[in-house]
Amino acid sequence: MWLIFKKEFKELLRDRKTIIFMIGLPLLLFPAMFGVAFFFMSSAADKAENEVLKYAIVGEAFAPNIVQSFSDASDKFESVDIGDEADYAKLIKNETLDFVLVIPETFNSDVLASGQHSLELYLNDAGLNKVVGRVSKIIDEYSNAFQKEAFTQLNLNETQQTALLKPIEIVKNNVADDREVWGERLGGMLPYFIFILCLQGAMAPAADLGAGEKERGTLETLLISPMDRYKLVLGKFVTICMAGIITALITVSSMAIWGLILSQGMAVEFVVEVMSMIGIVDFILIFLMLVPVVAVFAAVLLSLSIYARSFKEAQSYMGSLIMVVIFPVLIAMMPGVELKGGWVWVPLTNVALAMKELFKGTMDYFALFGIFTSTAVIAVALIMFCIHWFNKEKVLFR
Amino acid sequence: MIEISGLAKRFEVENPKKLSEQEKKDPRLKGRYFQSVRDVSFSCEKGQVLGLLGPNGAGKTTTLRMLSTALRPDSGKVIIDGEDVLANPNIARKKIGFLSSSTGLYGRLSGRENISYFGELHGLSKAIINARIEEMADLLDMQHFLDRRAENFSSGMKQKVSIARAVIHDPALVVLDEPTTGLDIMATSTVMEFIQRLKDKGTPVIFSTHHLDEVQALCDKVTVINQGETVFNDSLEAFSALSGGHMHQSFLKTLSLDVEEKSNVVNL
Repeated sequence: MWLIFKKEFKELLRDRKTIIFMIGLPLLLFPAMFGVAFFFMSSAADKAENEVLKYAIVGEAFAPNIVQSFSDASDKFESVDIGDEADYAKLIKNETLDFVLVIPETFNSDVLASGQHSLELYLNDAGLNKVVGRVSKIIDEYSNAFQKEAFTQLNLNETQQTALLKPIEIVKNNVADDREVWGERLGGMLPYFIFILCLQGAMAPAADLGAGEKERGTLETLLISPMDRYKLVLGKFVTICMAGIITALITVSSMAIWGLILSQGMAVEFVVEVMSMIGIVDFILIFLMLVPVVAVFAAVLLSLSIYARSFKEAQSYMGSLIMVVIFPVLIAMMPGVELKGGWVWVPLTNVALAMKELFKGTMDYFALFGIFTSTAVIAVALIMFCIHWFNKEKVLFR
Repeated sequence: MIEISGLAKRFEVENPKKLSEQEKKDPRLKGRYFQSVRDVSFSCEKGQVLGLLGPNGAGKTTTLRMLSTALRPDSGKVIIDGEDVLANPNIARKKIGFLSSSTGLYGRLSGRENISYFGELHGLSKAIINARIEEMADLLDMQHFLDRRAENFSSGMKQKVSIARAVIHDPALVVLDEPTTGLDIMATSTVMEFIQRLKDKGTPVIFSTHHLDEVQALCDKVTVINQGETVFNDSLEAFSALSGGHMHQSFLKTLSLDVEEKSNVVNL
């Protein structure tokens, strides 16, 4: 068996395609993806914040101060003249204007007498923009000034003012620590990534080891070598497992390392903090739980691969397998599904849930028994099936 | 001494509706099963070369696959040097060297690694494997390419490595399934020389082919299979005597022993 593993693994390492998928892609693609996404996000936000907005104010005469404030900030706003009967929506759509502010004729500083004023703001709010924020920054100054004036008129002291603005306030006290909060968010996504990656990494070698062997015409000679079939299967199986685990490990560490580098100067301390909260034991447990999961994947992949007549056929079978794997993980991400009762015994879902719990630091370690048993039983059953499958002439000589 | 008697094998037909008209007419089709091999018997003594002839789809490959233990026959017996192949396939596998024209190599391994992998699968020690490879590398003139990756080999180089691979364990019987089909003239002659060398060494060889000149040059015995049954099984002399030394005619004659199959012969 080790002989077969040794040879298959050697062959695997010499395959440029597999190496690219297993190591190159996760190592380079992820940082590139994150980097590009991060760059566009920040530059778009930057643009929305700093671009000069073209505006028009209708009813300028009613609030000359506000008009003055906008024209003072000429590095951020640019006035455009529009006629009285202009169609605001049309002008904004064809990008002559970014926004139109309509000031009512009743506008004055004595709010106690006139009541609340409504200024109407016309803008295109689809897509990323900061128009409302930037306009209210200027308007809020006046709003605050008016408020203050009214309070003075009414002769209210500080305490009364605060009480009037918000008579009752709810003070939130979160008993969950940071780890639980972040564990819930990150821990839900993590198994999703890891599962798919394990599967992806194991796919290329699996297709090669089963269907590839058929396609090259080496299967027949292998079958008539004096090596028990179960040894052949186990050798191939272990190779596929290794490939899956290696891919997962590389991807996760690449995500962590590049995440650290990219977030340099931003949230390094936060990342370090989250990482340090999760103990080394938890990481080892996460890894250990992955082993039977990868074994399940490898057995299924190998069965599919040996059934397929060609490399192409194998790959199309495996592609649909991704959907099957995503489903139990999605269940784990749904609210209300917890690592309790029956869910402990649901394969894949239980591992996904356990990873989340480990991240949160709220793991019930007794559940591990159920998780390991159910996953291991399924893995062993699938390997047995795979061996049985390898003894069927109908499968081998299709 | 190899003895094969009453070999039979049927395959389940996955979708009977998909079969062509001609396939449906085949008398071997029985309900959901296709009786690929119905009754094949022949034997081969030490040092003899047996040529297996027959039209396409006659059951040659299936027979040889059963002989080499890749397939399990439904009934019949295969005995190599007194060893029942069906009862102890792993022991029998050590005695058989198998090669077909479609056998490939692991492209990402070098020629040497390909050969020694199979040597190791047969449980040979490193020292023996290396010695055997050296010996065969000289014999087959492979020294200059043996350490390159197999994916870049020419068909002749591939065939040489495949030959070396098939006999790395010094088998008691060599089975070749259409070993020359699709090969160029050089590679074909390599195979022919290889069979001749085995014959000189006293190793029995059973090979299937469509080339009657190969049979004439090498074989001691001829077996003709048609529609899954042995229709001729005797010495080369008896075969060529069927039509006064004309191999081609002899072959057609053996087939037309099945009167109903005359139409098939014309198709050849």
